[in-house]
Amino acid sequence: MQELVLIQPGSAARSEWVRKAAQADARREFEERLAECGPLAYRVARGVLRNAADAEDVAQEALLRAYRGFDRLRDRSRFRAWLVRIAFRLALDRLRSAKRREQRDTLWSQPAHLPPPATAEDIAVSNQFQEHLERALDELPEKLRLVLLLSAMEGYTIEEIAEMVGVPTGTVKSRIFIARKKLAEKLRCHANTIKMP
Amino acid sequence: MPCEHYKDALTEAAATGAALQGELRTHLASCASCRAALEQEQFLFTAIDSGLHTAANAEVPPSLLPLVRAALDEVAVKHPPRWLQSLVFASASVVLALMVFLVARSHHGAPENVVRQGPVFAPTAITPGTNANPGQISAAASETASIGANHPHAVRDSTLFHPVASSNPQVLVPADEHEALARFVATLSQRSDVATAFLAQTPGKKVPLVSPDLLQIADIEIKPLEGGEAEASHSVGEKR
Repeated sequence: MQELVLIQPGSAARSEWVRKAAQADARREFEERLAECGPLAYRVARGVLRNAADAEDVAQEALLRAYRGFDRLRDRSRFRAWLVRIAFRLALDRLRSAKRREQRDTLWSQPAHLPPPATAEDIAVSNQFQEHLERALDELPEKLRLVLLLSAMEGYTIEEIAEMVGVPTGTVKSRIFIARKKLAEKLRCHANTIKMP
Repeated sequence: MPCEHYKDALTEAAATGAALQGELRTHLASCASCRAALEQEQFLFTAIDSGLHTAANAEVPPSLLPLVRAALDEVAVKHPPRWLQSLVFASASVVLALMVFLVARSHHGAPENVVRQGPVFAPTAITPGTNANPGQISAAASETASIGANHPHAVRDSTLFHPVASSNPQVLVPADEHEALARFVATLSQRSDVATAFLAQTPGKKVPLVSPDLLQIADIEIKPLEGGEAEASHSVGEKR
């Protein structure tokens, strides 16, 4: 008995070629968005973490995740919103794990409560009121915090923020209003530390 | 201290930044403490907005985008998730096909139809020069062929590995010749002149059609069997 095999010469090479071409297209398209969306991811992470080095790590991670899932994103116009959510979620995760670590260390060594490590740049731009403000921001609910951060960023309209967050413009406006009022309530007692430029 | 009745209205006015209207405006004109409170609230909101602006518009480190691009290059080289998913899917398909085959075999006890003849070529055409990267062809073909070669029932199950809808030519070859075929196809892809020469007819030379001779059967002579009558009478006597 002679054994026969059905083979398909060239099919693997062609599918490999198609895959590489699709990958190159996705890379090109992603690169086009990187220049605008890279800084956005960094600023979202920085707004949550208040630390330049951590924010850079998180932004990188968010951009890589976005790239890995880029071909699964059907509506490419939603990329910015998608990236913002990835960066925000990753930054929150890191902040929570840092807080847990801090609490654990505090329990063991009982030191005085220390602020998160800051770079020279962080220290230079901060003043006492800024510190209180950023702490108050941490205590805001996530929904309010993200909208408030995006509204404070340069170059984004209410409509764009609504698109990024996936809510109507009216909701964005009300969230901004509520968030600012909550911050004011928390910071009223620190108003004497305000040092305006 | 601001008047209790206007406290919330003052905060709201400072938060929205809208122009004062109606009763509040009239009250502020006559109440110095409420005016001072409003100024303080406005100052607080201005400070909050300024602080938020600082927090939200931090300077992006110049190293961010180059680092991301370098990381993207690494991802492009590795491309693990999709590749891994395909591998897992292919393995699962092979296992499933094998299980289906074994179940089908246990239900049908009849002997298998085996191919007794030599190699049979499917009615397909080899199209040289259609592949983008001929260097990968022999490896790819060997890889594809090896799946069938290791399988004891490769002929019957070959359609499980190669969908009928595929537009690529499929060739049925003996198991020990698939590597040679893969090399041959690679050569054809690299050298179109060889392929052309192989497929072209030699001018002035006609390939004769095969015409098998008819079977010659001699005339048949019919004779009665020897001793047939004696055997018949003997059997009748035993019955009596």
